[in-house]
Amino acid sequence: MRERFAVSPTPMLWFRRALLALAVAALVAWTVFPFFWILLTSLKQPLDVIAAPPKIVFTPTAENYGALFIGQQRGLYASARPDFLRFFFNSIVISCGAVGLSLLAGIPASYALARYNFRFKEHLAFLFLSFRFAPFITFLIPLYILFQQTGLYNTYSGLILAYQLISLPFTVWMLRSFFMEIPLEVEEAAKIDGCSWWGVLTRIILPLSLPGMAVTLILGFMFCWNAFNYPLMLAGRQTFPVTVGAIQFISYEQVLWGQMAAASLVAVVPQLILSLFVQKYIVRGLTMGAIR
Amino acid sequence: MMTRSRLLLWVGVFGVAALACLAPMGEAVAGEAAGLAYFQQAKINWRQFEGQKLTIGLNKHPYTESLLPLIPEFEALTGIKVEYLILPENEYGAKLTADLSQQRGEFTVIMAGAMRNWGYVPPGWMVPLDDFLKNPKLTDPAWFKLEDFFPSLIAANKWNGKFAGGTGEGPLWSIPVMSESYILAYRKDLFEQHKIKVPRTYEEMAEAARQVKQKAGIDGLVARGTANFPTIATGYLSGVKSYTDGKWAELDGKMNAQFTDPRVIRFSQIWTDMLRESGPANWANMTWYDGMETFAAGQAGMYPDCDFFAATYEDPKKSKIAGKVGYALLPAGPAGTTYSGLFTWALGMSKATKNKEAAWYFIQWATSPRTLLNATVEYKNYNPSRLSVMNDPRTQKVMGGWGGGEYLKTVQENLKTARIAWVPNPERPRLGDTWARALHEMYFKRLTPEQALQRANDEVNKVFTEIGLRK
Amino acid sequence: MGTQRAPARRREAWLPYLLLAPGLLLLVGMLYPFFLGAYYSLTSYFLQYPHLFRFVWFDNYGKLLQDPLFGISLRFTIGYATVAVALQVILGLGVALLLNSRIAGRGVLRATMLMPLMMPPVITALMWKIMMAATGSGILNYLLSWIGVGPVNWLGSVDFAALSILIIDTWGNLPFVSLILLGGLQSLPYEPYEAALVDGASRWNVFRYITLPLLKPFIVLAATFRVMDALRIFDVIYATTVGGPADATMNLHMRAFWQAFQWYSMGMGMAYAMVLLLLVFIASYVLMGYWKRAAEHTTV
Repeated sequence: MRERFAVSPTPMLWFRRALLALAVAALVAWTVFPFFWILLTSLKQPLDVIAAPPKIVFTPTAENYGALFIGQQRGLYASARPDFLRFFFNSIVISCGAVGLSLLAGIPASYALARYNFRFKEHLAFLFLSFRFAPFITFLIPLYILFQQTGLYNTYSGLILAYQLISLPFTVWMLRSFFMEIPLEVEEAAKIDGCSWWGVLTRIILPLSLPGMAVTLILGFMFCWNAFNYPLMLAGRQTFPVTVGAIQFISYEQVLWGQMAAASLVAVVPQLILSLFVQKYIVRGLTMGAIR
Repeated sequence: MMTRSRLLLWVGVFGVAALACLAPMGEAVAGEAAGLAYFQQAKINWRQFEGQKLTIGLNKHPYTESLLPLIPEFEALTGIKVEYLILPENEYGAKLTADLSQQRGEFTVIMAGAMRNWGYVPPGWMVPLDDFLKNPKLTDPAWFKLEDFFPSLIAANKWNGKFAGGTGEGPLWSIPVMSESYILAYRKDLFEQHKIKVPRTYEEMAEAARQVKQKAGIDGLVARGTANFPTIATGYLSGVKSYTDGKWAELDGKMNAQFTDPRVIRFSQIWTDMLRESGPANWANMTWYDGMETFAAGQAGMYPDCDFFAATYEDPKKSKIAGKVGYALLPAGPAGTTYSGLFTWALGMSKATKNKEAAWYFIQWATSPRTLLNATVEYKNYNPSRLSVMNDPRTQKVMGGWGGGEYLKTVQENLKTARIAWVPNPERPRLGDTWARALHEMYFKRLTPEQALQRANDEVNKVFTEIGLRK
Repeated sequence: MGTQRAPARRREAWLPYLLLAPGLLLLVGMLYPFFLGAYYSLTSYFLQYPHLFRFVWFDNYGKLLQDPLFGISLRFTIGYATVAVALQVILGLGVALLLNSRIAGRGVLRATMLMPLMMPPVITALMWKIMMAATGSGILNYLLSWIGVGPVNWLGSVDFAALSILIIDTWGNLPFVSLILLGGLQSLPYEPYEAALVDGASRWNVFRYITLPLLKPFIVLAATFRVMDALRIFDVIYATTVGGPADATMNLHMRAFWQAFQWYSMGMGMAYAMVLLLLVFIASYVLMGYWKRAAEHTTV
């Protein structure tokens, strides 16, 4: 949907444009500032982190990042470091797996809920949603017990299954909404041309709902990546994701803010890459007109 | 033509060259051998349980940090494979309790200690260590030297299982690896500059805080303030114990809460008034590290809390006030004595452990004199739990330098009267949380100290009745 | 394109169920832990006192109702969720419109909007906690002092603690709402707008009578997810105020967690969790009703 209301420039218009630009600037500043602060913190030495008044100008150091990857064996805090890369890898595996599984199961489910009429439809749709109702502790101890008994504890597959609680309801409902936006006529036309439901799904629906899919994918990925409470209890050292890894910088006698900040920023990188990649699908816009 | 002297010369040269080549290798071998050799001195067969596996759950702490690089050494010594998991204290507690309650045995060697034992021992989740210690096939007492540990710390880890009493008697459940007591860290430079008296009573402390705020422009003191039991456990509880001359306990023999003692009410009033008047604006959500960082940043005049925070205060890389800190006993009660609380982390063993002897080997190795010495000297594990480590010249040099010697003097004095401040009971977190909420209500003047403590009293009584410990 | 269609042909009658099957299978596996949790709420289950375990019917719920903290946390939970979601949806709509239009800097805005979502809530909360420090090292108060606003006791005062949580929560979740609404805006059909252009409708009327109704399903969807999460907000509070000061930020989830993981009283913890669950259920049910009606009306 583009701006189609062209008007001749007036002072009012410039004022509006200025106001909007200001709004954008404020929004960007508000969004970016905490990141800016985390970045600064990750480059600070401990003394600068606690400085009062807070330091915006200081001598930066790379030792926090170095500590993440190289590790220091003597004198300070050896434990989190060698594991950080493994936690990172775990996050990638678990999040991709969880989102992938959710899409696999969610796309057909959303299609059915969007297009078909059948008994219990709304009840089933609501059922999907309802799994996101429960506070995590409702599931945590029972899941913990169950996982221990079935050997799913501390495994990728166990975590990917548990993460469905986070991503599947969301995926189904989001895709349902986007699928419903696609005009029926397009589908009917394809069916008249002889497409089966599978053809319609893969050749019409999916391509047309790309922005929606992109949004669902990336938001789902982020929810999974940022999950903390489930992996804390259901994962062990081999499968901890970065979220649990990042809090390891809280030690008994000190909090290593610099390193925690560095770890958090490094953990953001895959999501950044994914979002840049997905951006163009969101931005592309639906060219409905092209189909007509 | 080879004369004898020439032959001798060649032999000499060749010999020196050979030695020169072998020396570094010899050093390395000697180094590693020296490492294991120390343990081989013990008259036990370290390799008895070769091939077994152990999973260890520990919380994040300098002591546990110190163990990690040494684990390969343990594996080489015993042939036991070790898998470990490290988490911050809160998260560790949750995961550990889940594992213990299900008796899964994922955590074999665990970080326990006096207060935690009270929660873990009654349900039968821990194994007493006495039998291991007495078994000559598993422990060499002359080498391990149990008597080298501070007696008060060993006593703290013994418990006969009776609630509201019984610490110091009964089986030994865990071996202490560090200790902490509570002292008053204060800004010596500011106190001297503005001629403020180092407080010996709590009324003086409130006055000192006031003066710091007025004259130096920073908060008079910081203290923990979140609405949970760690807020109570350190400076506040030590204050209560001192103010009641060490004779009061929060639960009596019949598990009745004792919060409504007039001295406790009076002290709580002094404490919250002092914080409201001269303490930090956001006292109510200050954790231990908020307090420590604020003090280390030079933003407060006093911090009545863990003694070993001095390691941070005195490190110029982490603190702006290195060299400016004084250490004193916490103020005393009316009778003139300070009764500080005591806390100790200790290694214990889960009952669900499948290979208990192997786990004992780990505990013995990890708490041996040399391992603990390494933990303190190289990894800043304070305060040491063994006398030999405390008296080691390297330790003395570092700790002796803090506060120009004041730290060691104060701590040693403190340890004469410091004791575990809580009464053995399995609901310490809940009790402490309720108490901390009462402090909040007093601080924000929603209730008077009497009302707040009465309410806490009733709530705690209800809890103990509910779990069947109180009639 | 609504939910009304001709009745499915016979041979396709089973198709929807087949399509739903994998998803349902995954979730059905979760029913067991759920019922286990619900069962625990009807027992006196203390992790540390296994000998006290027995079925107690609704005793826990009775105790819950008598607990003064229950009333406080219930009010805060509902109040917070209402304010937070309203604020975030309105702001989110504004941001989505901004992102969708042709204004200067929107490329930068688009790139940055996703960023808050990339931070785990725990880390976000810790970072904001440092920024909101009321002692000298807090950057927020420092910046405010430049414009002459006095130091604010963000997390430590009864008055501002809830507001601080709201700020942190909004920072982290506004992008979520904006993105859903942006996706919705992008998928809206052209025809109504072309027609409106032909008719010469004003910008505001276009927004009010075309955009808003068409966008309603997405607004309701975003609101539903936000309501579910706002009612259950936990990580942010746990990392900053822990329910304080003086219970100013105590919500039901925090109570449930406290009972279950601090006091190891599983029965009570699950009871609190079930009450919270009921709350979320009711809110979602109502909102889903809205969604259905909104979705039906967007037939083109």
